[in-house]
Amino acid sequence: MSWKKKVLLTLLIVFIAFQFIQPAHNKNGQGLPTDIVKLYNVPPNVQSVLKTSCYDCHSNNTRYPWYFNIQPLGSMLNSHIANGKENLNFSDFGSYSERKQKNKFRSIAKSIDEGSMPLWQYTIIHKDARLTTETKALVTNWIEKTKDSLSRK
Amino acid sequence: MLCLHVARLQKPCETLYHSSGKQPKILKMKNLIIGSAIAIVLFTACSNGNNNTASADKKESDTTQQGVTAPEVTTTNVNEPNATPVKELVSQYLKLKNALASDNGKNAATAGNGIVDAIGKVNKTGFTAGQKKVYDDVADDAKEMAEHISTNAGKIEHQREHFDMLSNDMYDLVKTFGAGQPLYKDFCPMYNNKKGAFWLSETKEIKNPYLGKSMPNCGSVKEELK
Repeated sequence: MSWKKKVLLTLLIVFIAFQFIQPAHNKNGQGLPTDIVKLYNVPPNVQSVLKTSCYDCHSNNTRYPWYFNIQPLGSMLNSHIANGKENLNFSDFGSYSERKQKNKFRSIAKSIDEGSMPLWQYTIIHKDARLTTETKALVTNWIEKTKDSLSRK
Repeated sequence: MLCLHVARLQKPCETLYHSSGKQPKILKMKNLIIGSAIAIVLFTACSNGNNNTASADKKESDTTQQGVTAPEVTTTNVNEPNATPVKELVSQYLKLKNALASDNGKNAATAGNGIVDAIGKVNKTGFTAGQKKVYDDVADDAKEMAEHISTNAGKIEHQREHFDMLSNDMYDLVKTFGAGQPLYKDFCPMYNNKKGAFWLSETKEIKNPYLGKSMPNCGSVKEELK
């Protein structure tokens, strides 16, 4: 066996070995008391847009694709999700201070407006997550209204 | 378990080798490189994913540690006439403001880092309960803004968005704790689709950090903070 074969075999073994390490799912059926829907009035149509376009990376409930079960893809996905949740987690929105919530709302509206979110890498696969002019306006108008109610407090 | 799997996969492996034996050397090298790349990604991805909660815990303990070690850093300031616990924070903020006014995203990022460091070193020992509440609320937000600014050296417009929110934080801090130097609150009505934004400056002369060199003089002094 040449050294190249040995290297390939080792890599294969490593690959197979990693299939046994299945990362934990980001799925928590129970809603936290700090969930955004428990703090603000989120109309059903806005909620459904948030769910399909944002929640996979910005909530405690991800709809996982089949390739999550292949490593290292699953672990890579999870690190993306962890990063997304660190910046914004709708399931734990109430844990932010009022100041932070206001800024989060502002940043959400901004990234939707300029189209930096949802990430294009994500919408290639998740076509249903793409935002149209209408759904963009729906969410940003809702944010504008909610943010105003916050500043009046 | 593992051995069994490997053994079962022996056959497909052999065919794999066979075909790779005919490939030119470069291609085999390519396989090797791709293979090792996958292995590396895999290691980093795993460690990232699994340490998520651990790193959150670590952050918390870090901040408490900083709180403990802070006194020796700021004791010198206490004797100064205009001592304020946020002096270093203000000076880093002004650096950031000047970097943005001259369209320098890289210096802005450095100053953003400086703000994160300065927040970690603030001496909170003499704070009243009210001051502590304001400080914790503001610092938590300001730190996040500063982190975004420090990691987006190539995206100055993104840095400016966070600078806008950070300026709100800094104003509240200075109102509560003083700045240790006279500051001006300036307002630019044009930024952010004419919603406008303000900033703090050490000079009376306007140098707009939002529009930079394209409109350096846009804005006016709204308030003097002494």
